[in-house]
Amino acid sequence: MNRTLILLRRELLSTFVSPVSWIILVLFLLVMGANMYISIVAVGGDLRQLLSSAYGGLVFWFMFLVIPPLVTMRSLAEEHRQGALEVLMVTGISDASVVIAKWAASSIFYFTLWLCLLPLWGVLSLVGEVEPGLLFTTYSGIFFIGSAFCANGILASALTAHPLAAAGLSFTFNIALFMVHFFSNLFRPGEIELLWIEHVSAIHHMVDELTRGILDLRVPVFWFTLILFSLFLATRVLERRRWA
Amino acid sequence: MESGKQGIPPLRKNPVMLSGLNHFVPYLIRSSGSTFAPMIEIEDLSLTYGDRRALDGISFSVPAGAVTGFIGENGAGKTSTFRVLTTWLLPDPETQRVIVDGVDLLSDPQTACTRVGVLPEQLALPGELRVAEFLRFRSGIKNVPSRQARAEVSRVLEAVNASDMEQRRIDTLSQGYRQRIGLADALLGDPPVLLLDEPTRGLDPRQISQFRALLDELRGNHTLLLSSHVLGEVEQLCDRICVISKGKIQLEEDRESWTHRLGKAGRWQLELAPSADAKKVTDWLNQLPEVQSVNRDRHHWSIQSDAALGLRIGEKALEEGWVIMELRSEPATLESLFLEWTGSDSVAPVSGGEES
Repeated sequence: MNRTLILLRRELLSTFVSPVSWIILVLFLLVMGANMYISIVAVGGDLRQLLSSAYGGLVFWFMFLVIPPLVTMRSLAEEHRQGALEVLMVTGISDASVVIAKWAASSIFYFTLWLCLLPLWGVLSLVGEVEPGLLFTTYSGIFFIGSAFCANGILASALTAHPLAAAGLSFTFNIALFMVHFFSNLFRPGEIELLWIEHVSAIHHMVDELTRGILDLRVPVFWFTLILFSLFLATRVLERRRWA
Repeated sequence: MESGKQGIPPLRKNPVMLSGLNHFVPYLIRSSGSTFAPMIEIEDLSLTYGDRRALDGISFSVPAGAVTGFIGENGAGKTSTFRVLTTWLLPDPETQRVIVDGVDLLSDPQTACTRVGVLPEQLALPGELRVAEFLRFRSGIKNVPSRQARAEVSRVLEAVNASDMEQRRIDTLSQGYRQRIGLADALLGDPPVLLLDEPTRGLDPRQISQFRALLDELRGNHTLLLSSHVLGEVEQLCDRICVISKGKIQLEEDRESWTHRLGKAGRWQLELAPSADAKKVTDWLNQLPEVQSVNRDRHHWSIQSDAALGLRIGEKALEEGWVIMELRSEPATLESLFLEWTGSDSVAPVSGGEES
């Protein structure tokens, strides 16, 4: 079996037997469950509105931005500090394989958290009409943007040997992608400068497009490019460590 | 040192031989048990961290099948050398050559790292996994074919006497067993070279004894390079020693040579009652041909000699009426020699049995 897949399988095994992962999962479901309840009350039972309310509000963004740094902070930083990374790398496995496996494992865990919310929509579909298309585009957005946040987390984890510093750095990267949207206040609609902000704004992509059922090809292209860029940088950082 | 030059020629200079030698040399060396062919050859290895030179052009060789003690004070460059040999760190460009099991590490690190198993000083095992899960993962990462993984895991666990731990979670193991699992990991894929960095650190006396016995069993089948601060351990286990200090090799010699040095460096401690004439005693000791040096502190003499002086001193004391308060032989240890070798900046001759 390919070494990347072997490492990915081991990472997933370690993630899902770790109590920390289960604590994150339970807290996530509690907070997002409460958020869903509050959103249902707020939109008065309109399920179309519910999607953009539950997956576009402050609680959603908080969980969306904070969880990836928590999931990824230990992946390379802690292993480097403990010496496990050295033991892994001296087997001849490539830097890129290590980075890809770590990123894929954290993205899979992160996406699993959001998939755990799907049964709520199953229950709601018994009492109202849930549009599968809307749910699909929303979850696609969570997948693209969440994976990019995880890639940022892996980069941050490669840059430092301290998990908390990695989490802080990763959160900074993610919050920058979130805050860039507020630059749009500086421009008026129709101005060319506004366009680039819309192309890189996580808020714009989620709230104005994906939760409304719009899947523009430029959105996945942007986020996948960002993923590749972050993973490339993380690989280079790992490679640089070999140059004493 | 000279023996290192007679070994496997650098493969990059003989590309025609590359395919054949890579496969057959390790088996030839290992099956013959020869101690002449070097398994590791290092020539002018340098490593710099920022502006600090950790390794300053070191050269040494390790014969196949031998257990070589790699000793030096903290920060001397032992772990840095290991990190180069495992390909974790890239040496400085001026490094001439690093050959492991006939593979040029500088030009083919991917192959070279498969020839080396390492038990690091800082052992980081995933506590959440079971021993078998961890070792199966490691065998996959080390490119052991998946069909052979189960058998390979059983083999290495048997080799380290930990077969009954296969289904135990790693975080429930004692330090001794964790160290064995680390060694089992190093043995996966049957690498000809094993690098052991402080292998008995943190173990209790019983575990140390068991672990040393384990290392002794590996002798011959693997070439062991053992870094340790416990010089008694080095003395007990190793066929050769290589002393490194401040990034430079200070000494490289085999057991015969250092045993000879130890014999020469033996001491006698003599204490006489104050009634004895100290000057007369010192003069008498100094004129004995088998005595190398005499140090006196009031009525206590420290005599450097490799001869059995007890009877001579006893007879003389009887004759002169000196009252012996204490007379004991103090054999030299590797520790005392180590302090001598690394105590000053002067560089002892590399190789050979000459006194430094």
